[in-house]
Amino acid sequence: MSHDSHHAPVASKLELAPERSDLGLYRPDRATGWVDWLTTVDHKKIGILYGAFAMFYFLVGGVEALAIRTQLARPDNTLITARMYNQLFTMHGTTMIFLGVMPLSAGFFNFLVPLQIGARDVAFPRLNAFSLWTFVFGAFVLNASWLFEFGHLAGWFNQFEWHKNLIYTDFAPANGWFSYAPLSGTIGQADQALHSPRFTGVGTDFWIIGIQILGIASLAASFNFICTIVNMRAKGMTMMRLPVFTWMTLVTAILIILAFPAITVALIELMFDRQFGANFFNPSAGGQPILWQHLFWIFGHPEVYILVLPAMGIVSEILPTFTGRPLFGYPIIVFSGCVIGFLGFAVWSHHMFTTGLGPVPTAAFSLLTMAIAVPTGVKIFNWMGTIWGGRVRFTPPMVLSLGFIWMFMCGGFSGVMHSSAPADAQQQDTYFVIAHFHYVLLGGVLLGLMAGLYFWFPKIFGRMPNEKVAYLASGLVIIGFNLAFGPMHYLGLAGMPRRTHTYHAGNGWETWNLVATVGAYILGIGVATAFINLVWTAFKGRKVESDPWDGRTLEWSLPSPVPEYNFAQSPVIGARDAFSEHKYGDLRLIYEKDGGPSGVHMPSQSWMPLLASAGFLFIGFGMPMMSMGIPYAGWLVITGLVVLIAGIWLWALEGPGGYMLTTPTNTAPANQPSASLSR
Amino acid sequence: MLSRLFTRAAWLVVALVSAFMVGCSKADLQVRQSTLDPKGPVAKLQYDVFMDTVWLVLVLFVLVGGLLVYAVVRFRARPGDDVKVVTQEGHGNPLVEIGLITASIGALVFIAIPTLGAIWIDDDVPASAVPTSKLSAWYPRTISGVEQYAATLENQVLEIDVVGKQWWFRFEYPQLGLTNDAKHSVPNEMVIPKGVAIHINLRAEDVIHSFWIPKIAGKVDLIPGRKNHLWIQADEVGHYYGQCAEFCGDSHAYMLFRCEVLEPADFVKWVASQKKEAAPVAENTKAAKGKELFAAKTCVMCHNVSGHFGAGSFAPDLTHVASRKSLAGAWLDNRDPKAQVAIEHTSPLGTEASVAVDPAVLKANLIRWIGSSGVATGADGKPTKDVKPGNRMHFYKMFNVASLNETHQTFTAEELDCLAEYLMTLK
Repeated sequence: MSHDSHHAPVASKLELAPERSDLGLYRPDRATGWVDWLTTVDHKKIGILYGAFAMFYFLVGGVEALAIRTQLARPDNTLITARMYNQLFTMHGTTMIFLGVMPLSAGFFNFLVPLQIGARDVAFPRLNAFSLWTFVFGAFVLNASWLFEFGHLAGWFNQFEWHKNLIYTDFAPANGWFSYAPLSGTIGQADQALHSPRFTGVGTDFWIIGIQILGIASLAASFNFICTIVNMRAKGMTMMRLPVFTWMTLVTAILIILAFPAITVALIELMFDRQFGANFFNPSAGGQPILWQHLFWIFGHPEVYILVLPAMGIVSEILPTFTGRPLFGYPIIVFSGCVIGFLGFAVWSHHMFTTGLGPVPTAAFSLLTMAIAVPTGVKIFNWMGTIWGGRVRFTPPMVLSLGFIWMFMCGGFSGVMHSSAPADAQQQDTYFVIAHFHYVLLGGVLLGLMAGLYFWFPKIFGRMPNEKVAYLASGLVIIGFNLAFGPMHYLGLAGMPRRTHTYHAGNGWETWNLVATVGAYILGIGVATAFINLVWTAFKGRKVESDPWDGRTLEWSLPSPVPEYNFAQSPVIGARDAFSEHKYGDLRLIYEKDGGPSGVHMPSQSWMPLLASAGFLFIGFGMPMMSMGIPYAGWLVITGLVVLIAGIWLWALEGPGGYMLTTPTNTAPANQPSASLSR
Repeated sequence: MLSRLFTRAAWLVVALVSAFMVGCSKADLQVRQSTLDPKGPVAKLQYDVFMDTVWLVLVLFVLVGGLLVYAVVRFRARPGDDVKVVTQEGHGNPLVEIGLITASIGALVFIAIPTLGAIWIDDDVPASAVPTSKLSAWYPRTISGVEQYAATLENQVLEIDVVGKQWWFRFEYPQLGLTNDAKHSVPNEMVIPKGVAIHINLRAEDVIHSFWIPKIAGKVDLIPGRKNHLWIQADEVGHYYGQCAEFCGDSHAYMLFRCEVLEPADFVKWVASQKKEAAPVAENTKAAKGKELFAAKTCVMCHNVSGHFGAGSFAPDLTHVASRKSLAGAWLDNRDPKAQVAIEHTSPLGTEASVAVDPAVLKANLIRWIGSSGVATGADGKPTKDVKPGNRMHFYKMFNVASLNETHQTFTAEELDCLAEYLMTLK
């Protein structure tokens, strides 16, 4: 059955006749409002949803962080119990990494990549929606553990037999974000599968299944982006003309595909240990706890670069824009990004210097870790080369990007310090490490992502954030951040271990913990100010034209907000930085003769990605509830599998759909034509 | 607008730098668990390598950071600039790139060489230390005709087995007969001789822990099902603080330990004292009642008191509990608080000297520790807050034994007093 023939070209999809799928099911193409958002396959809407959920979870993780800092402000503080503290830092780390930074990066991938490569959507629009909703449900499952924890503390479950039988009653994860076995696993001989002795309660089961679901979302999205970037570039957009952000997206997606299988395997093994009586990590049955660490960190270290590379891509877009110069050493920046990605798989054991690897592996991982400083340094040098000879405009995105370079540089320096294994023997698992990775991930990645938000918000919503508030927020974030995490370098060297919910007075840690807490609150106020500024902008901000920053990449050639078909006519690219060079004289951009009255082909919206993802909701609740010993919880898991399979089945059978949409003609930006398209 | 913003940013940088300077001058580098105050060759070596990285990083920080600040200031947009003029500038310079990459690699070689050296030296007792550290060099093989260690061990250095458990450390000296099997193990307070290299074996019985005395050596993990080791040496007599550094569950923050460094001759005496059995308890005293309670309330199932009871091997050995300077995984300090304060005020920068146990503090700690938990009651008759949440002594559910229930572990205030009195006799 053809879907192309029976649509008359019209200006708006709302004027189209309702459509049905091959199964006769309703395709919500003409929907508006919340049905539109739930069934959308538009990469821009999916990107906005990713961003909105990510910002929400940033706030959740931030509140957890402030609770942690409040507890540590004074020695021998009894505000928060040990167990609650352990749950807070575990969920803080997990939330910030998997529910904050990764989805916010995914939001940028979604919104920007098709625009930057001159495409009308991603390669698999429905798979993209599936990634989004799977992330949303995975995040919900992970955080639902808090609901159980609060229910337990409030005593709601006391009357139930299963609750009385529980040995451990921590309902939110309390293992730290890397959940080392056997603390997260089992010990001793399992008498029955469900009653093998453990060290932690069902929080760990929530964590296992939650991360597993989030991994599926990340993997699906990564395949989608690799296909999109490799196959859907506009004519003339060769790989070495790709904007650096798109390049870093490609590298990140490849890292996700290569890194996540390791954690997937580890999580399945841990789940089998805990729920089905297997002994992968159970030392008393011959299992190897160290295996978990290898599997986790061969995922976990590339994960760091999965978090950092998108922010590096963002900064590599912002610097040329606000210095008025092309990126210095584009090929080297791209190549060093790839080298970082490659070397990222060769340094995992530097997280394990204290596990007794033996001198030869320790030396090898020490040297490899030092080696990774070279491509990272190359990026910083090239960013400086971009500034050199330029005209630096201190807009909010530029201020935040400069902050990114500075903080990331400091984080890199402390990283070099513990690449040296003997020095790391003193620093491992202390606040020195906390300081290091917060300089990389907060001073680096969060500032980079905030810069990206301020940079592309005018493109996403067609509205400009208030500049004064933006400067204020950036200042508060940078001051608060340094005040909170700078003293932690000292605390770590003064011997304060991480993940301790309290400490005695007399250890010399009191003053700087208090300073760090004050800094954390300033940082919190700064982030809140920035987010309020951005949310307000999305609805009420001052409207701006399509290219307020004098941008260089293709997305700035489009109207703001971007129409649903992106490019009315497909672009043909004649150079790197084609749009910028085109604006200033050379003919670098022409348009194909598609679109217009003959229309462009748009993918149909669908309920099926949402339905399939909803299966994970049942699985995500069912597995921990089985672990709690709630009767018949296993049927919830089976229901989830049925829903998942049914969703995928119907998805396959409903047909590709699609409709034609007319676009305006002659939307090419003005230029002064010169001799040739390419140089 | 821009220049005003610029001035503000400059002030911000000045403020941050001065805050950093003030911070550095205020930071005490010789606190209890400082890694910057090494008192033995292992920690010293790690400190030296660390300082190599510090100097390298400082140089890079000044160079790269200075260049970055210079570039941003020098090339800032000024009013009236034509931003578009520079659009067509070049895309990089291969010579600059190759030069910078070569320089970075050179800088890393500067720290790679000491790093590699230290990795091998850190691994185990170096051969050069053996002649002065082997047992026969400092420990008399026989004292008053009693053999202290087998002749075959003469050329070995002292070995200590460390066992990590939730949430305490057990120390054993197998060459000298102080082992858990021999009913002479040492919980939470390691004692070592000054100036000799010691080989430490690390094991864990439940989850992963990490052995760390910052002033003496960096950490090595204790992993169940795996044998790890390190070597240590302390060059100053004194009282050192250690802590578990790998997250190990609910009460990880309370898993501390101490290390007492003695002159070798004092160490020999200490070993002898640890082999003594508990003295008999006078009849019809509170202590005698406490001894009965020790058996009746099932304490005896897990705890060993050589000379009185011998069944327990799971929990800390209590034969010398009253002589130890801390309780509950070194979280509660039994030392005389006034003497302690005096020491910290008179010599805040040196190695801490040992302070004697204060009986009143010890008793209060014993009552608080045993009485604390949801199921037992404290001295005031009310349930007290758990000193170490989740610990096996109070968390009877862990054992999953039907006959072991709350009543076995509930004490009245009077019973608690008697039990404490009994434990106080175990010097």
